[in-house]
Amino acid sequence: MGRVLLPVLASALLLAGPAQAADAPPGASSCTGCHATTKIADSVIPRIAGRKAADIVTFMREYRSGAWPSSVMGRIAKGFDDQQTNAIAAWFAAQPE
Amino acid sequence: MTTRRTFLKGAAVLGLAPAIASAQSTAGKVVVIGGGFAGATAARTLKALAPRLDVTLVEPNPVYTSCPFSNSVLANLREISQQEFRYDGVKRAGVTVAETSATAVDATARTVTLADGNRLSYDRLVMSPGIDFNWGALPGYDEAAAQKMPHAWKAGAQTVLLRNQLQAMDDGGLVVMSAPANPYRCPPGPYERASLIAYWMKIWKPKSKLLLLDAKDAFSTQRLFQNGWAELYPGAIEWVPLSKGGKVTSVDPATLTFTTEFGSHKAAVANVIPPQRAGAIAGQAGVADRTGWCPVEPVAFESTLRPGIHVLGDAAIMGGMPKSAFSANAQAKVCAAAIVALLAGVKPQDPILINTCYSLLAADYGISVAGVYRPDKGQLTDVPGAGGVSALEAVGGLRGQEALYAASWFRTITAETFG
Ligand SMILES: Cc1cc2nc3c(=O)[nH]c(=O)nc-3n(C[C@H](O)[C@H](O)[C@H](O)COP(=O)(O)OP(=O)(O)OC[C@H]3O[C@@H](n4cnc5c(N)ncnc54)[C@H](O)[C@@H]3O)c2cc1C
Ligand code: HEC
Repeated sequence: MGRVLLPVLASALLLAGPAQAADAPPGASSCTGCHATTKIADSVIPRIAGRKAADIVTFMREYRSGAWPSSVMGRIAKGFDDQQTNAIAAWFAAQPE
Repeated sequence: MTTRRTFLKGAAVLGLAPAIASAQSTAGKVVVIGGGFAGATAARTLKALAPRLDVTLVEPNPVYTSCPFSNSVLANLREISQQEFRYDGVKRAGVTVAETSATAVDATARTVTLADGNRLSYDRLVMSPGIDFNWGALPGYDEAAAQKMPHAWKAGAQTVLLRNQLQAMDDGGLVVMSAPANPYRCPPGPYERASLIAYWMKIWKPKSKLLLLDAKDAFSTQRLFQNGWAELYPGAIEWVPLSKGGKVTSVDPATLTFTTEFGSHKAAVANVIPPQRAGAIAGQAGVADRTGWCPVEPVAFESTLRPGIHVLGDAAIMGGMPKSAFSANAQAKVCAAAIVALLAGVKPQDPILINTCYSLLAADYGISVAGVYRPDKGQLTDVPGAGGVSALEAVGGLRGQEALYAASWFRTITAETFG
């Protein structure tokens, strides 16, 4: 019995832990190279974990079109279509803030 | 007493997808060789995704010294201690750390022999040994020569040696660097280094100059570097491309002389960035090909030469992706998820990966090159239309902003890697 329980228990604890890449849609685990899922002291790169999916999608669209100026996000957003962006946004929205 | 059912209900409330629940129960043995940006990330991510996996990280050094931002140590902008990371976070993640090196891999028996005499068996092996130098590819340059003409291309004592030589140099002394042909670790690295040495010379050795001898005719982010040099350090950096005699054919450590196809240059301080290949253990394991690097497929980064072995980071041939810490970390996260899927008998999903390399030209002047990659015709390939370099015209303090983003990236990637 305990052997069955353990992994589930561990997964509950893990929600507060490092990024869950298994479930992560393609691309999301690369975003976390800059947008950490853990709290990084003293980072000027905005946090996106726990943000509303719709807001992340809007940002990505505007970066992609160039409507919003950016240092690097324009170059990155152009690599993702709407469907891929939606999936990544939903995943970040589900991460703890 | 809690029953299985109440636990599952709790899991559902917490939003755990069935896919995670099955990853949670995936068991097996994974050995990771090399605890750099690729290996430490892979080991931690494997445990995070599948806590029942038995994960051992083999790494001889108790302290990892990061190459990213080590050029800032040369310019006295950072201490070497700020480059150092320990494996406590990796151990906290439930990874067993074997503080020794791997000496042999048997891909058929699926075992790894360690220098301490132990032998580990594995279901899947991750090899992330970084680079070794091709000693002998540059006549005159060997491990003894590196004490006179440091490479500082593996950070640590070599970085400090080069910094100390620079500080002891007379004002007016000539610094000579040599950069290798592609591929090598960190394509913009030599040019960032030249920039930051010039930055430091401008303050402390204003009569000194830097000569950069290059075995290539073009390099990463070239226009941004050259524009920046003209703006920040006019006349201080001379870049000699291959076609103008930049290829170094031999060095003499006794006289700090570089000989090229066109002549010779005597240095006050000499920095040789030597030709490279995958870490030696890759050759022993049979995962390196005749180029010295390791071919892999583009989804789980499994060796095309030895099944069951995944190769990550600098050691691997990753198509369009450059050899960088950012790439190594990104590949490791993709690979960990793919290994968990493979152990569960599930086909791994096609990945998308990003790389971004920041370079500093001065303390407050940053630039970057980015790319987005996906598998195409058996290779990781640039997604067309994405990526590229920072805007050539910097408006609104862009270079200063990117210098700040670079520092934030370093804090993030090291936390994502070492915990
Ligand atoms: C000057 C400089 C500046 C750089 N700047 C940047 C930057 O700004 N951004 C960026 O993204 N990248 C940068 N890089 C590149 C970056 O350092 C590498 O791409 C990165 O370290 C690759 O990670 P890795 O895990 O593949 O290899 P490594 O980090 O080299 O790790 C390999 C590990 O394997 C271990 N090992 C080797 N053989 C064995 C064995 N037989 N058994 C057990 N362990 C073994 C080694 O001890 C080492 O710890 C820079 C590099 C240099 C030189
Ligand atoms: C190389 C570092 C880097 C990577 C990788 C990266 N970002 Fe960003 N991100 C930034 C920076 C820096 C900004 C600020 C805008 C700018 O200058 O580009 C930003 C801004 C954002 C914002 C706006 C947040 C806000 O509140 O202003 C969103 C949303 C975002 N990124 C999403 C993503 C997603 C999704 C990915 C992966 C597909 C990603 N980023 C990958 C560096 C990065």
